[in-house]
Amino acid sequence: MFIAFFKMKKILFILLTFVFFSSYKVVLPDQSEEANAHVKAIYIYNFTKYIEWPQDYKDGNFVVGVMGTNTALLNELTKMASSKTVGSQKIEIQTVLSAVDVPKCNIIYILSDNSAQLADVAGKLKGKSTLIVTDKPGMAKLGSAINFVIFENKQKIELNKANIDKYKLKVASTLVEMAIQIK
Amino acid sequence: MSKLKRIVIFGMLLVLTIYAKAQQENLIAAQTFLQQGNLDSAKHYIDAAVLNSSTANNAQVWYLKGFIYKTIYNKNEKGNRQSPSRLAALTFFKKSLSIDSSQENTQENIKNIKYLATTLYNDAGASLDSIDYKIAIKNFEIFKEYYLLVDPTPANIRQKDIDFTLAIASLYTRIFESDRKEKTEFLSLSKEAYNKILLLEPNNINANYNMGILYYNQAVNLINQQDYDIDIVALNDIQDNSINLFKESLPFMEKAYSLDPRRRETLLGLSGIYFSLNEFEKSNMFKLKLEEIEKQK
Repeated sequence: MFIAFFKMKKILFILLTFVFFSSYKVVLPDQSEEANAHVKAIYIYNFTKYIEWPQDYKDGNFVVGVMGTNTALLNELTKMASSKTVGSQKIEIQTVLSAVDVPKCNIIYILSDNSAQLADVAGKLKGKSTLIVTDKPGMAKLGSAINFVIFENKQKIELNKANIDKYKLKVASTLVEMAIQIK
Repeated sequence: MSKLKRIVIFGMLLVLTIYAKAQQENLIAAQTFLQQGNLDSAKHYIDAAVLNSSTANNAQVWYLKGFIYKTIYNKNEKGNRQSPSRLAALTFFKKSLSIDSSQENTQENIKNIKYLATTLYNDAGASLDSIDYKIAIKNFEIFKEYYLLVDPTPANIRQKDIDFTLAIASLYTRIFESDRKEKTEFLSLSKEAYNKILLLEPNNINANYNMGILYYNQAVNLINQQDYDIDIVALNDIQDNSINLFKESLPFMEKAYSLDPRRRETLLGLSGIYFSLNEFEKSNMFKLKLEEIEKQK
């Protein structure tokens, strides 16, 4: 009887197949533009710590004018403005369309696509205390106080102390030492 | 021969006969209960049968034991991804296979091992989530052990290994992404898994791409998680670390690109890496390639 079982054992075998693992997913890259903009926003916020504005620029909002188009950067600066202050001043980001429209502001940040307007902006700010920040090689020699540059793949800053002094701003030596100095 | 000796020998033969008959009865009972669907009793009798030295090395007995346990798994434990009866059945079929000198049950043993191993493989796949992933790994390891007995072709098991490791690496990444601060160990586990795949198959496009993305996202997040308050000196060090991570990412992404130059994600990745390395010309070149490909669609 025992042997008979083995003779009869041609039982229906359920066909079982390998199920393909479906849990593999392609991960999309995070936004590198955001990271780049975040670094610049950190720099901008640091400028507020290392540079001193005259008393009449310490009232009201701390205004950062932005001239040019860069959505990621504007978003970052807006985020920064909503979470940080400069002393007791709230940070306000203002989009500036042209040199004529430059308001009274603590910082004017001219993005690379608007670099051609540097001379006009500098002219408009004569006698005022606005820190001019640019984002294109060579701008620190052409009138900006601080210029963003790339050095060894990294975001760095060039600093032209004469262009800071010209606008009656005081800069901490720490910032000067950290920057690539331009004369 | 003295009368006493004859009585002793007769007695011994009688005991042996009764004992052998008892074993035969155990087997018949096990088989009968199996056919009646009374699996508890079938299990009881087959467990008793294999304890005896006269049947312990009988391939058919072990096959029957495996078959009973397999039936228990199929009837009662199918939903249990850690079914003890399935594992037991596999060991019994393996035992039967190893002692089956006449090869009478070889094909049946192989079929059954293959069947149960496949259920383990499929259960491993079904357990690939953040809660049960350890069960998945265990089941896959057991699957491999048994599958190699019935299909020792290196290419087949290698492909299954790659598929599973790719899936588990992807899962580790998702767990890490769900909480980048608290689940950092899953980032290491993920990289380890992709490295394993790349050792087995250096041209695996998914492993290359995902490994590149792991470093890439790590680099981006390293920057993005910094507070605006961070000092410029500290930011400088963080930028260094971030750039090193982008540089680590680059060869994997370039490899993925060489394997499929038209894959959207890879072009996005390369454009992003070069952008983050502040090599804008190269970044734009890949952006343009991507735009061209998307126009053609």
